[in-house]
Amino acid sequence: MANYFNTLPLREQLAQLGKCEFMDPAEFTDGVSYLAGKKLVVIGCGSQGLNQGLNLRDSGLDVSYALREAAIKEQRQSWKNATENGFTVGTPEELIPEADLVLNLTPDKQHSGVVAGVVPLMKKNACLAYSHGFNIVEEGMQVRPDITVIMVAPKCPGTEVREEYKRGFGVPTLIAVHEDNDPHGEGLAIAKAYAAGTGGHKAGVLMSSFIAEVKSDLMGEQTILCGMLQTGSLLCFDKMVEKGIEPGYAAKLVQFGWETITEALKHGGITNMMDRLSNPAKLKAFDLAEELKVIMRPLYNKHMDDIMAGRFSSGMMEDWANDDAKLLAWRKETGETPFEKAQNTNQDIAEQEYFDHGILMVAMVRAGVELAFETMTAAGIKEESAYYESLHETPLIANTIARKKLYEMNATISDTAEYGCYLYNHACLPLLSDFMTRIDTDVIGRGMEVPDNGVDNQQLIEVNATIRSHPVEGIGQTLRGYMSAMKRIN
Amino acid sequence: MNSTPFKGTVFKDACIRFNESFALLAINWTLEPGQVWAIMGTSGSGKSALAAALTGAGEIISGSLDGIVANAGMVSLESQAELIERERLRDDSDITDKVSPGTPVSDMLDEVCKNHELLAKLIPLFRLDGLLDRGFRKLSSGETRKLLFTRALISQPDMLIVDGPFEGLDAQTVPLVNDILRQLAKTTPLLLVINRFDELPDFVTHIALMEKGRLKTTVETCDKPAMDLMSQLLHLKTTQLKIPDACPGDTSPPLNPDNPLVNIRDASVRYTDNLVFEHLDWRIEAGQHWQLTGPNGSGKTSLLNLITGDHPQCYNNDIFVFGYQRGNGESIWDIKQHIGYVSSALHWDYRVSINCKNVIISGFYDSIGLYARATDLQQEIAAKWLRVLGFQERATQAFNQFSYGDQRLLLIARAMVKHPNLLILDEPCFGLDDINRQLVLALIEKICAGSETTVIYVNHHAEDRIEGINNYITL
Repeated sequence: MANYFNTLPLREQLAQLGKCEFMDPAEFTDGVSYLAGKKLVVIGCGSQGLNQGLNLRDSGLDVSYALREAAIKEQRQSWKNATENGFTVGTPEELIPEADLVLNLTPDKQHSGVVAGVVPLMKKNACLAYSHGFNIVEEGMQVRPDITVIMVAPKCPGTEVREEYKRGFGVPTLIAVHEDNDPHGEGLAIAKAYAAGTGGHKAGVLMSSFIAEVKSDLMGEQTILCGMLQTGSLLCFDKMVEKGIEPGYAAKLVQFGWETITEALKHGGITNMMDRLSNPAKLKAFDLAEELKVIMRPLYNKHMDDIMAGRFSSGMMEDWANDDAKLLAWRKETGETPFEKAQNTNQDIAEQEYFDHGILMVAMVRAGVELAFETMTAAGIKEESAYYESLHETPLIANTIARKKLYEMNATISDTAEYGCYLYNHACLPLLSDFMTRIDTDVIGRGMEVPDNGVDNQQLIEVNATIRSHPVEGIGQTLRGYMSAMKRIN
Repeated sequence: MNSTPFKGTVFKDACIRFNESFALLAINWTLEPGQVWAIMGTSGSGKSALAAALTGAGEIISGSLDGIVANAGMVSLESQAELIERERLRDDSDITDKVSPGTPVSDMLDEVCKNHELLAKLIPLFRLDGLLDRGFRKLSSGETRKLLFTRALISQPDMLIVDGPFEGLDAQTVPLVNDILRQLAKTTPLLLVINRFDELPDFVTHIALMEKGRLKTTVETCDKPAMDLMSQLLHLKTTQLKIPDACPGDTSPPLNPDNPLVNIRDASVRYTDNLVFEHLDWRIEAGQHWQLTGPNGSGKTSLLNLITGDHPQCYNNDIFVFGYQRGNGESIWDIKQHIGYVSSALHWDYRVSINCKNVIISGFYDSIGLYARATDLQQEIAAKWLRVLGFQERATQAFNQFSYGDQRLLLIARAMVKHPNLLILDEPCFGLDDINRQLVLALIEKICAGSETTVIYVNHHAEDRIEGINNYITL
């Protein structure tokens, strides 16, 4: 199988990358009716698989689960999840031939095997749905030409997909049709009905392409999302300990700091995150972020270039073939860093203190988000995609660090994200070593000691203008506006 | 760590602030060792805040407070909510992609246990034996309450504070808890927050009556004339009550009067390791009001959720509701449009940022939170409900700033607002004080007397009978 993206002419590559549009809610007035009475079979009964299935069934659709014979015989957890929730369960051989729509909700790495096993069982003219397009775009999976191939990707974890549905709402969702596999021209209708079945249409649906989803998703997760937060965690912790700050405090400040800082980001973008700092601290964070952007820009460009050229995925697939040797070595290494091993203090850290004592962390988030966004849009990805894969998802990853620190984050995010994170971290640590020698506890650990909070008016105006006029802020405001316009009436 | 003996607590003219909208004012109160106090008052009067102040919560603005009990064991709706929230955060199913039933009961006991001897006694007493391996999230609300009690008792607190000691417990467990508390009162300082006058245990020696953030009066329970006066004070006349109309033109599609509202045949709910019930038949005709009873864990909530569609096994049972044979292409919203629903689970789930009036309006849309623009008429009806509840001044206040009891009242109004075909009230009075309980019971009676709505009512209190309900089903 060859990398699909690389087989396309430049014109087509650009057209696909540039696809991402916010859909008018009026496009969903037919709800799930296109799929009414059709048979939906889900493969994979983990968090996404189970929760999407529950929503689809509650929307009136006929959903069942195909599990491997061994999982059924041994009554494994996946079998329990499906049967205790009252679903019909069967082997792929029993269920797939009857299916009108097969939902592949397994992890990336299993896609090739799953799809190769399932497609021959599918009836003619059926539809295969993904929630992530790696298998199609990077592995170049070719699906039988009579089969329609679509993607429906809720941009939230599975439990949130379910909770929001039960409330009568949904989560933002990205849909796409694989144009090489849309033989009957019904891909979009199926994807829309599927998105409506999960409740996604109530929170906003973006019409994208497999290529735009994969390339932006890969870039986001390996740079700002996992890479920057991981590299930042290690650098900040080590610096604080080197400067005599109690390791328990340093560990807690880092572990929960990302979550607290990015909560501000979630609500009001970079602008609001920076506004949480005092004026002198904001100016300081701004300068640090500007410097970081200059140092790290070549690295972000390299990641984007490798992803676009397919070098990233081919390298990773080599490691898959080599029993994940690099990945596992790296995971072990992460588990043994001083940050990971430090015991957190019991001391309370107030919400504002995470900002005041974490100026460098704020700077890193700003630099990472802006760089990832700039690099993606420069490569032809639309602002909407770039926003979702950088700023929007940063708080979700920060939340996993708050729960489990890095080792667990890496063990539990997708292997694809983890592998990218490994590449980023190994390049970024040495890149920032010189910068870090100039860092002291005023920006990480203790906070600034200034006689008063006065700043120069002109300087503050300029800095605020630069922050607020960044394109990620413009598109962010628009997209968050759609969300809250739907979410909070009155 | 052993517990420190309680030497007494003295509030002197204490003003204690909890947030921008609530403070305790000019509290003068002395607790002495050997006394057993019960704090009483209406919802939102500051009962729970006073108990919390004793443990050091809130900010003392003026006056003084000596003898804060830092190591207090707490059993309350809030501590239950905290535990539920903690479990939600611990839920790794998104990052591990494995769906988990929650922390096992035995782990939740071990993590706080300082007295294994006591634990060994309490487990059979609370009938937790069979639940030790069960995940927290699989517990019924009554079972969760028992777990919370056990956790507080085995952590060897300097004082045990129980906010609503009998809330959510079945009739068999109430005397049990009463006895345990009576025994405990001899050795451990005990403070109760009591919502209902008829639930006042006989071993309580003193009552503190709260009103609008102030300690209105204190009474010794052996002082008979003073006690009579207090019960009168807590009595409310509810004769002027009128239920606001439904929204004309906003009604759900008409039902065929020849069909039963609900017909459940040979139903069962089972998990791999646990059968909740089986062979259950239940046919509900329109206008036939029912009371559902059964001990904690007998599956009352599961049964009701089969009707509402919130239990996933409704799809593999023979269930006919509102003209739909379940599992034939109808959506959950087709079902919910006919139902008004109040339960503890709904209350825990209702944690969105929303104001008080919109909570009521959300009942028109069966949503948690409000995601549609309300019509003028809906706004008007919601305003009428606010007047019935006495919340007209608080229409724009955030839901999460209301006390638990007041939140419950709002959720009851939300359930009734559209005059649904079926109103399901799963322990609606959970957490309500005497006055509001009477208000709610009166509202339910009015609803039952009307012709539009059929009521299913779940309650542990035999004395909370409702005029008009004369069909009974027991699990």
